[in-house]
Order: sequence, then structure tokens, then C-alpha cells
Amino acid sequence: MNRVCFHCAEPIPPDVHLHVVVGGATHAVCCIGCQAASEWIGTLGLDDYYRLRAEPAERAGVALDYSAWDRAQLQRLYVRERADGRREVCVLVQGMRCTACSWLIERALRAAPGCVDVGVNVAAKRVQLVWDPDASSLGALLERLARLGYTPHPLDAASLDALNSMENRRALKRLLVAGLGMMQSMMYAVALYAGAFEGMDAPTRDFFRWLGLLVCAPVILYAGAPFFLGAVRELTARRLGMDTPVALAIALVFVASLIETLRGGAQVYFDSASMFVFLLLGARQVELYGRQRAADVVDALARLQPATAQRRVGERLETVGTHELTRGDVVVVEAGQTVPADGVLLDPQCLVDESLLTGESTPRRRAAGERLLAGTLLRSGPVGVRVSEVGADTVLSAIVRLVGRAQQQRPRWTRFADAIAARFVAGVLLLTALTAAAWLAFDPSRAFAASLAVLVVSCPCAFALAVPAATTRAVAVLAREGVLVLAPDALEKLLAVTRVVFDKTGTLSTRQMELVDTQPLGALAVSECLALAAALEIASTHPIAESLRHAAHGLPQRTATDLLTVAGAGVEGTIDGRRLRLGRTAFAWPAAADDRGVLLADAHGPLARFVLREQVRADAAPTLAALAQDGLALEILSGDDAAHVAAIAQRLGIERWHARCTPEAKLAELERVRAGGDCVAMVGDGINDAPVLAGADLSVALGGGAQLAQSSADLVLAGDRLDALVTARRVAQRTARVLRQNVIWAAAYNFLSIPLAAVGLVPPWLAAIGMSLSSLFVVLNSLRIRRPARAPHAPEQATASLPRGTEALPA
Amino acid sequence: MNIILVLIPLSLVLLLAAAWAFFWGVNHAQFDDLDTPALLPLSDEGGPAAAPHRALPDDPPA
Repeated sequence: MNRVCFHCAEPIPPDVHLHVVVGGATHAVCCIGCQAASEWIGTLGLDDYYRLRAEPAERAGVALDYSAWDRAQLQRLYVRERADGRREVCVLVQGMRCTACSWLIERALRAAPGCVDVGVNVAAKRVQLVWDPDASSLGALLERLARLGYTPHPLDAASLDALNSMENRRALKRLLVAGLGMMQSMMYAVALYAGAFEGMDAPTRDFFRWLGLLVCAPVILYAGAPFFLGAVRELTARRLGMDTPVALAIALVFVASLIETLRGGAQVYFDSASMFVFLLLGARQVELYGRQRAADVVDALARLQPATAQRRVGERLETVGTHELTRGDVVVVEAGQTVPADGVLLDPQCLVDESLLTGESTPRRRAAGERLLAGTLLRSGPVGVRVSEVGADTVLSAIVRLVGRAQQQRPRWTRFADAIAARFVAGVLLLTALTAAAWLAFDPSRAFAASLAVLVVSCPCAFALAVPAATTRAVAVLAREGVLVLAPDALEKLLAVTRVVFDKTGTLSTRQMELVDTQPLGALAVSECLALAAALEIASTHPIAESLRHAAHGLPQRTATDLLTVAGAGVEGTIDGRRLRLGRTAFAWPAAADDRGVLLADAHGPLARFVLREQVRADAAPTLAALAQDGLALEILSGDDAAHVAAIAQRLGIERWHARCTPEAKLAELERVRAGGDCVAMVGDGINDAPVLAGADLSVALGGGAQLAQSSADLVLAGDRLDALVTARRVAQRTARVLRQNVIWAAAYNFLSIPLAAVGLVPPWLAAIGMSLSSLFVVLNSLRIRRPARAPHAPEQATASLPRGTEALPA
Repeated sequence: MNIILVLIPLSLVLLLAAAWAFFWGVNHAQFDDLDTPALLPLSDEGGPAAAPHRALPDDPPA
């Protein structure tokens, strides 16, 4: 029984016999949603998607009604009216995974009548839609998208600006201008060097100098503009950063060369100036790509808080925008939908999944009169909810605000090299002035050449590049390993960390369960009991059901009829005329003594007990061992029951753990260990971790977790592999080593060369070569940062690639 | 050596042309999505010609 769904590649339950005909062949699918999505893709003639895609699609839901999006009140917040009468909206598309998805979405939407333009950004999971309101409607376009199997979430109008941000394009243009200018000015510089040795008449020399000026001027004035603007910002803020010495060095070298060109002096340095600008811009560009994140807080909010709600007006229901809800309204929420606002349950009871808010993996039972929170997923329904808090007053909004505040509170790391370079530049300026003054007193004719040599040979470029060259390389190496460095100082902090705190669910353990023991209690054999249990659990999506089905894989199949699920207790059904119960002891056979695990019983007595435990992530043990070997203290902070946490801690050999922690308790514990002098890294996922993550010295999020946690994290392990944390630490160690070498080199070079230049022993051409070589050494040395060799037993896994997006990151 | 008086201005013209072409490309969204276009030739029905022009009307002139 190895059937997997053609559309989403998930296993097909044995009692499902759905098929779809795509591209002339018949394929089996797992559910109505996938069948509809697949059929629709085939009808559009886009079945190439199945050949092009790199990953299976997300299990498609049954397409919902999107006509509510045509309401003017709702569109006002999300849709922008353009001057030409067309409308545009930015939609976050859940389920977009690879480039084939973007291809599919683009083709499907373009074919829709009234659709004017579609822009798809895979990395940001966003689609920009422009349509003609006379020929089509937003609801129709969204429905089209939903029928492909994706879930569209329109974003508010402000996110259109972010998508259209020209920042990235401008940076690319600057990089190109600097590159072309650098190549050309180097060509002219080579001619000038050759002329200096072979002899060149003054007019030809000046001709080449003017050419150098011509190609270098745009590099300095256009491509180098960000450095000058940054220097102005730093000066007005009275804070000496990296931009000031860089801008000063560029300006001084360029102005000196300009003066030398005008007065026919000894040497020009247009090639050095433009190369410096190009290298720095290149480093910035790589850094930008590395830090661009696929999702931000707004995305996660859009996903958590539904944009529409079903409001009960008298006897009928109307679909309204969530922002139209007011206190006292009654909304109806269906099973599988998200609660739109905080409210009080009106129906007798329901099951809610609060995992994104509290980290609790098991659905909670709520009785009438109890509070339901916005953003929680309803597992059973429909139920009525009386709205008590809306918008900014909801718990969800409070969590988002908490994230924002925690992020602001984080102390900014000040760069060590920045401080050195700033002081260094001040020193060099002083030295240059001294040199000029001394030579003016002894031999005024050599004053300009000597002071210029000091200025050029003393290379703030090497200092300026020492840190970014190494960190940029490290970020790029880590991105290839599936580790995204989102905060600039994350690598430095990773080295300073003395204690690593893990969340349990989803971090150390997967969300799956594993069957560890089956104890037969009746006459039936173990395999027979398993087959019966699997047949009873055939329809359930609960982790326990999945593990039982998995364990029964390959056993003869049984068929259960009259299945009845009792929420929170178990399942009941008839197999071969025998009535069976599977679930908690209290439900299946209350007289049984032991209440561990899951009990299978028939009318006469218990048949078997299944003992399950949480499945520990395969790479958790080696990762923890490696971290412990580094002398790091390890700790678990979990919202789960003490028994579960203790079991995991014992299996992984962690002595210190805390169970049943609320986000506040976790934050308090973090603050306590930090006050004890520890530098703490917090590894987690789940939205409840977001404020906790932000409260740690270093926050690490696993890529499979909720987006909100990722967006506030310093490091994201995008490949969903815990062992990437060890890789990141090794790379950070190498980076620190290379960084120290770079700084020492730059300092040693300058200490040797500046005195020589000051006494007039360094001719300007040698100064220029020295300046270039010192920068080159720093860059080449940084290339030595590589990923550590994998342990031979570690399986090679697909690594996540650098996410690409067009959205610029706010500084 | 007088040939350089012709060749160098010529190289500058080529440089300007290259810069202009790149700017045009950046302004017309040619560098915004570097993933999808690689898949287009693999599809059976038509290449980029089938897709309408990608330029957005609010793009600044090159």
C-alpha cells in the first residue's frame, strides 16, 4: 500500500479512492481538495507544473468562498486604486514553495479575464495583482488562486510599497557603475604604470589621467553616494561609524588625484578609489541578499488573523471584514477556521488548537462562557462566539507588540573594527598634517607627495574591509548550509554564548509520536491489535493515530464501520461485528488499572495497550552532544507537561528543564540566567516563542516553525535541521579567527608603511600598489572561511539556498 | 599611437552602451525574478513571447 497523492505527495488513506485525469494519465489523489486543484490545473492546460515543480504542493483545502472580498468596506483597507482606473493588491500566498508554483500562479492568473498584470515573488511568497474592476473582481481572482490549491491572504495596501521598493534596483545599478568604472580606470592605470617605467610624454600621460577622472567620477559621485550619505547621517547623529572613515578615504583619495591631475603632479589613484567603492558595494550587496527575509511580522499576522468573519445578523449570516466587527457582535466560526477576534464561546463546547499562541500541541477543550482567542484554530464546529475584544485589544496583537518592544530593547552591538577604524582615520589625518608640516619646514617641494603617500599607503580600506569581508563570506557560506543570519551581530553572539535554552515541541522533538511498546492484554496477538487500532484510527489526523497507522504498515488491512469519534477521549467502531474502543483508559475500559498510553478494548475487556512517546528529532542528540562538548550549558523551557519534558530531557541527557512555562515565565527564566552572567541563546519555534526569542541574547528559530518566530530571530535554521546550529558555531569560530588575522594584518601593514611614507621613502605608485594589495590580502584571507567538513556518518541532506527577494530590508 | 585617440573614445561609447542596457534591464524588472525565467523554455506551449510585457507602468524611465 504505497499510494501517495499525485498533487501533495502525502499518503492516501486506504479507504479513499479518488482519481484525477491530468495530461492523459490517471493519478490517485488523497482528498477532494487535491482532486479539485489538480483537475483545475489540468483544465487550464498547466499540467507542466507537475514536471517542473521541485517540491510537492501543500495539501489543498476545499476552495472557500472569496466573494466577501468584493465588498467595498473590505477592499478599502487592502486594495489600491490606480490612476488609470485599475486596482492592485498584494497577496500573500500560502503554499507557494518553488519556482514551479510561481510559474503556475502567473500562468493561471494571466489567463483570467480582466487580469492586467501579475508579479510573483517566490522568496517573499507574494503576488502583486493588477486587475480591471469592470472586467473582473478581486473575489474571482482570489478564488482562481484558491482553486489551484493555494491559500491567498490579501495584505494591506502599505505592503504594495514594500514590494515596489526601488532600493534593491538602485543598489544593483550602483554596483554595476562601480564595476564598469573600476575596470576602465584600472585599464588606464595600467597604461600609466607602463608609461612610468617605459617613459611617456606629459600630454599622453595627462590624457590618460583625464580619462581616469572621467570614468572614476561617476563611481565616486553616483555609486559611492550611500557612503557619503551615511557619513552625513553619522555626523549629524554625532556617532562615528564605518561610513565616515570610508567616505573620508574615498573623498581624500579622489580629491588628491583630482588635484594631481590638474597640476600635473606625480601620481593619480583613480583605480584605487573605484576599486575600493566596488569592493565595499559588493560586500554590502551580498550582505543584503543574505539578510533578506521571506516573511515579516505582518505576514504572520495576516496568516493568523482572518480578514473576514461570518457575523450573525438575526437569523442569517453575513460575511464581513474582521475590522468591521465590534464588541458584542456574534460571529460563527466553522471547524478548520481561525477565530477572528477574542470572544466568549456561546455553544456548549468546542476544541481549539492554540499551538501558535501557546505552543500547546494538543487541542484544548473549551466550554460555554470560556474565552476564545483570536488566531486560534477551531478543530470542531461550527460554534458561535460573542466578540469581546477586537483589533489592537486582542491577545494576538499584544504578542506582536511584545515582539516589537523586545526587539527594540535589545542592546545594539557596536563593531570593534568600526571603533578602531574611526580612531585610525583620525590618527592618519593627524599624521598626514604632521608630515605636511614637517616637510613644509624642511623641503616644501616634497610636502604634497609625501603627505599624499601617507594618506594613500595608510589603508583604511584594509581596516574597512577586514570585518565586512569576513562576515560577508561567513553569511554566504552559512546560507548555503541552510543557516540564515538575520541580525548582523548574530555570529559574534554565537561565540559568546555560554548557555543554550531549547524549546521542546518542534525543536528537540518533532510533532510526531512513535510507538515504543505494544502490550497484549487479551487473547489477540500484537500484530492483530495493531491492525485493529489502525483501522479504527483511519480517518484521524491526530499524531497518535498517525503513529499507529505507521506502525501497522504492511499488516493485513481491516475495515472499521460505524466510526464514532469522541473528542478528547478516543474512537469507537465495529470491525467484523465486534464493537471496539480505542483511546484513553477512562474511555476504553475504565476498570483497567494502568492509565498510561492508549488502550484498545472490546465489550469483554482490554485487548492491548500502546505506549507512545514523542519522537525526538534525529539530529537532536548529536547536536546537543557537540554543544555540551564545547562547554555550553543546556536547558529546556517548555509549555508542555512535566512528564513529557522530563522524558525528553532524560533521553537527551539534559539536567536542567522547566515545564508548563508561559511565555512570561520563559522570559523571566531567561532574565534570571542572564542576570547570573550567562550569555543565552534560545532555540525555538512557535509563535509563543517570538517574545521569548527576542528576550535572549541570541535567538535561533527552526525554519519549520511559525513565521513570526523566524522574523524576530537572529539566526534561522532554514533547512529545519538542528545540527546546522553546530555548523554555524564552527563557521563563526573560523570567522572570528580570520577576522583577527585581517585586523592584525591591516594594523601591521600600516605600522610598517606609514613611517616609511612619512619620511618620503615610498614613491606614490608604490603606495597605490601597497594599498591595493593590503585590501586584496584581506579579501583573499576571508575566502578561507568554509563550511566545516561533515562527520562521515552524517547523512547528506538537501540544503536550503539563499532566499532571494526584491524587498529591501529596513536598516 | 594616434590610434588610441579613436579606440579610447570608442571604448567609452561601448561602456556607455553597456551601462545603458543594464539600467534598462534593471528598470524593466529583468533582475527582479531570477528564478522563474529559467523554467520557461521547459514548458511546451510557447516561450516568453506568450507572456505579455512585464514592465509596470510606474517604472521610472531609464
